[in-house]
Amino acid sequence: MLKLIVRGIVANLGRLILTLIAVVLGVSAVSGSFILADSLRSVFNQISEDALAGIDAQVRPIPSDIASAFGGGGLPTFDESIVDELEALPEVDRAAGQVSAIERVYTVDAEGEIVRPAGPPVFANSWSGDSEVSAFTLVDGTPPSGQQIAIDQGQAQKGGFSIGEMVDVSLANGTIEQFELSGLIDFGEGGTGGAYFILMDLPTIQRATETTGLINSIDLAAAGDLSGDDLVDTVSPLLPDGLEAVPQDVLIEENQESFGQVIDIFGNILLGFAFVILFVSIFIIYNTFAILVGQRTRQLGLLRSIGASANQIRFMVLIEAVLIGLLASLIGLLGGIGVASLLKWVFSQGGNQFPEGPLEIQPRTIAVVFAVGLFVTVASALIPAFRAAKVAPLEAVRDGGRKERSASFRVVTGSIVLVPGLILFGLALAGSFESTRNTFVGLGVGGALIFIGVSMLSALFAGVVASGLGLPVQSIKGITGRLARDNASRNPQRTSATATALMIGLALITGVAILTASVIRNFDEILEDAIGSDLVLYQPPQGQPFSPALIEPLKALDEVETVSGYAAFRGAIDDDVFDLRAWDSDTGASVINMGLTDGTLESLGTDGIAVFDETATERGLSLGDSVTFEFEDGAFEDFEIRALYDNSQVVDGVSWLFDRAVASEHVATDTVLWIGVSLVGGDDPESAAFADAQAKVEAIVKDQPQIEVQNNSEFRQAQIDQLNQIQILIIGLLAMCIVVAFFGIVNTMVLSILERTREIGLLRAVGTTRSQLRTAIRWEAVIVSLFGSLLGVIMGIGLGWATVTAIPDSFLSFVAIPWGQIAIYLVIGALIGVVAALFPGARAARLNVLDAIAHE
Amino acid sequence: MTTVPPAPVVMDNAAAYAVNASKVYGAGDTAVHALRDVNVGFERGRFTAIMGPSGSGKSTLMHCMAGLDRLTGGETYIGDTAVSTLNDKQLTELRREKVGFIFQAFNLIPTLNARENITLPMDLGGRDYDNAWVDEVISTVGLADRVTHRPNELSGGQQQRVAVARALASRPAIVFGDEPTGNLDSRTSADILSFMRQAVDDLGQTIVMVTHDAVSASYAHRALFLADGRMVQELADPTPDKVYDTILNLES
Repeated sequence: MLKLIVRGIVANLGRLILTLIAVVLGVSAVSGSFILADSLRSVFNQISEDALAGIDAQVRPIPSDIASAFGGGGLPTFDESIVDELEALPEVDRAAGQVSAIERVYTVDAEGEIVRPAGPPVFANSWSGDSEVSAFTLVDGTPPSGQQIAIDQGQAQKGGFSIGEMVDVSLANGTIEQFELSGLIDFGEGGTGGAYFILMDLPTIQRATETTGLINSIDLAAAGDLSGDDLVDTVSPLLPDGLEAVPQDVLIEENQESFGQVIDIFGNILLGFAFVILFVSIFIIYNTFAILVGQRTRQLGLLRSIGASANQIRFMVLIEAVLIGLLASLIGLLGGIGVASLLKWVFSQGGNQFPEGPLEIQPRTIAVVFAVGLFVTVASALIPAFRAAKVAPLEAVRDGGRKERSASFRVVTGSIVLVPGLILFGLALAGSFESTRNTFVGLGVGGALIFIGVSMLSALFAGVVASGLGLPVQSIKGITGRLARDNASRNPQRTSATATALMIGLALITGVAILTASVIRNFDEILEDAIGSDLVLYQPPQGQPFSPALIEPLKALDEVETVSGYAAFRGAIDDDVFDLRAWDSDTGASVINMGLTDGTLESLGTDGIAVFDETATERGLSLGDSVTFEFEDGAFEDFEIRALYDNSQVVDGVSWLFDRAVASEHVATDTVLWIGVSLVGGDDPESAAFADAQAKVEAIVKDQPQIEVQNNSEFRQAQIDQLNQIQILIIGLLAMCIVVAFFGIVNTMVLSILERTREIGLLRAVGTTRSQLRTAIRWEAVIVSLFGSLLGVIMGIGLGWATVTAIPDSFLSFVAIPWGQIAIYLVIGALIGVVAALFPGARAARLNVLDAIAHE
Repeated sequence: MTTVPPAPVVMDNAAAYAVNASKVYGAGDTAVHALRDVNVGFERGRFTAIMGPSGSGKSTLMHCMAGLDRLTGGETYIGDTAVSTLNDKQLTELRREKVGFIFQAFNLIPTLNARENITLPMDLGGRDYDNAWVDEVISTVGLADRVTHRPNELSGGQQQRVAVARALASRPAIVFGDEPTGNLDSRTSADILSFMRQAVDDLGQTIVMVTHDAVSASYAHRALFLADGRMVQELADPTPDKVYDTILNLES
């Protein structure tokens, strides 16, 4: 029995290889996601350990939810005077005050541009010596001291800097100073993860980051054999309020946990895409098994007539699936290494340098990969296996075609799957599933059911539609077109099953395209409405916070009418932490239009607040009421509601808006996210007055090349470009579905042609040329793939439209359908058919006429 | 020559028999009667040919006898077992243990070699089998030097010999042949048919064969003639001439 199965697989190897590819692609995606996430996790864990290897304990501010916002993040927060006190303790061998600031200091290249990676941040750190306490190791040159810097090798390479050279450095106070590059450093063992580091000695870094006298942590090394915990016990009583001492193991654990969270999210997103790909491949595996069973009907009949039981036949098909599943899982596991490397490469093209480290295959990955690979293969083969078991012994002598299921049976079963899918999807969109997690599960399961249902129902009209699509082909191509059309429509069930994979891929891509296009258009509309300023100053790419020191010189310009800085910070109401925003409220109204519904914004002062009207309604607040906030410095303050607004999107969806003086007062380091400038000379960017004013503004920020001065429409475009990049990334990942679908079409075409060998022999015998044969096969594939693409695009429009419509109007008020983009997808769909037909067509054309006619 | 149909038979010595076997496709005006109250028995150790023009019901009779197809009326028996009472599982076992088949073509599993094809029914049943007997069957059909060849490495005649050997290897109660030599030239046919006759005469096998070829039928002990679903004639020790005469007679 097993011999029969194994021989069957070996004999059908050619046919099964393509099935194998479908499973392997899906499984590789899953295994690649795990491998990449695991490898990242272990590299970052190693980095955490390396970075903290020489530190027995650390003194730092007590972490607070309120403080971990943009404004205070990563900037020195407490007075350094305590360092000497600690160093004087007999238990302490060494105490080093540390400064680590994000996005405050940059090197500037010969073109006057700042040197920065595309994604990860630029850190400015204090050099505490090439000691055990330091996470940094000097790989070349000497440590920085005084007017010297040491930087990582990636930065040196990008900026074209070499040791001994004078390098322009842009400081937090908005000036550029020259520093000598004294050395090159590395971070831990695993590299910097793509981030750039600029190191100076402590006093210099404090001057550069405008934090003189402040530090954000103290690294401690214990004297003798004193343990970290004992050191903590010794030091803790001496610390002022707001500071704590933490032993090394806790630090490492915290670090690893926070890296782990990010990696988990990253890994789960990848896994999500992997499962979509897997889902698509199920249809292809199913289709292949269904075709193979159909083709072997006669043989199965023979087996039945000489004594094989229905169970044995079913078992035979399922064992075949198990063996293929095992083989595919094994290949897929290794393929995962390829996928992980590919993903690493793709992401590193985006500027994120992935840390060096071996790719790691954990036992969990192996278990999951085999479970998933076996499950999808066997589940896909289930229906074909039962169908095979139903083959009657008499089929051995009958030259009967497969019995098609009746139309009513299809309508019923298709609807049984489709309707619950639609209901589930609808409920999820309507927000009936309280938690986000359940909503995603609802969307996923509902979406999957919809796809399966539509796939089942599509067999009903696949013949007619394919025939219709073939009509123009026939009129252009004549008899070869006719053959293509007939072949594409003669087995509707197969046409629909083949097209399903492409349908799902394109439906998802179209849906995403509509969603992102709608987000972009809504966003653009909002920005156009909301931004009243003529120039925007901000720091690309992500709008990192920067010093508000520019505001005063800008105000002093004659060409400038108003200037308003826009800042982010955090605060809590009754222990609930909220994101807060602040601006220069006296001029803010001319910079952003927030859709004021009540009160005035000009009079916020330091004790007033503007509130998003929906939030006010929810909390039962109205104009004149008082709200108490706690800030990161521990202060509690009351604010009177002086204005209500309804356009919360322009303030990042935040519900609470203050005057910037409030933010400045309570955060450790005063920053802004962007600065809006209104010009006296009007808002036409083409006018000479505008250009002149812009030039004057640019002159003011010339020493801060990290800050971009953009006019209103440039700024909007920059924001949209960012969204577009996200769209490209998502669609790029979904494109894997299209690759799987492509193999599905190749597979079906090869199998169909095998089935039609005799017919092809006849066609050739009566005078069809090889190229005519290839043409017919090419157009057949095009018709099938167009059918799938059309169906996919239609479903994608439906899904995208439904999703956007379901999102509350305050986020997305109208649907944008990118018709041009969708037309391109259809063309790509047709091209996939052309390419998919290459191999099967060549194969068919190669057939020996006599052999083909003699074929069973 | 008589045209009286044989009387209903319940034979003591029958390997298989049919009682009032009827098979109707469709219903009402469009009903097609493939078999009409056929009564027939096949004696043990005899080679019987079933003849008749296309559409006479000869294949249907054989398929129903063998449990490949179901009657709409009457009953067929393999030994004492009423075939229509069996469920799918029992039918499978019946085919596995009691019945051998030789089809016109596509008899073999292309991925298995000759010997594996021959032992397949027994492998499927998970039965131990008599290797000596299998070897004997193989050498009798003259395939001793071909047992490791795959079907596509064998000629059409050799493939049919393998099929015959497979049908015989499990020593079934009865072997059914559905035009077993229909695809072969006359010399190869003669070869296979003599071997089948030999298996009956020497080994005591029971064989029932459907054919429309007079020469093939002449290898049988007995020829039965069907027309329009009815048993119309029986011929003992048929010769090609006698068979031709009977056919002509029936057609006129």
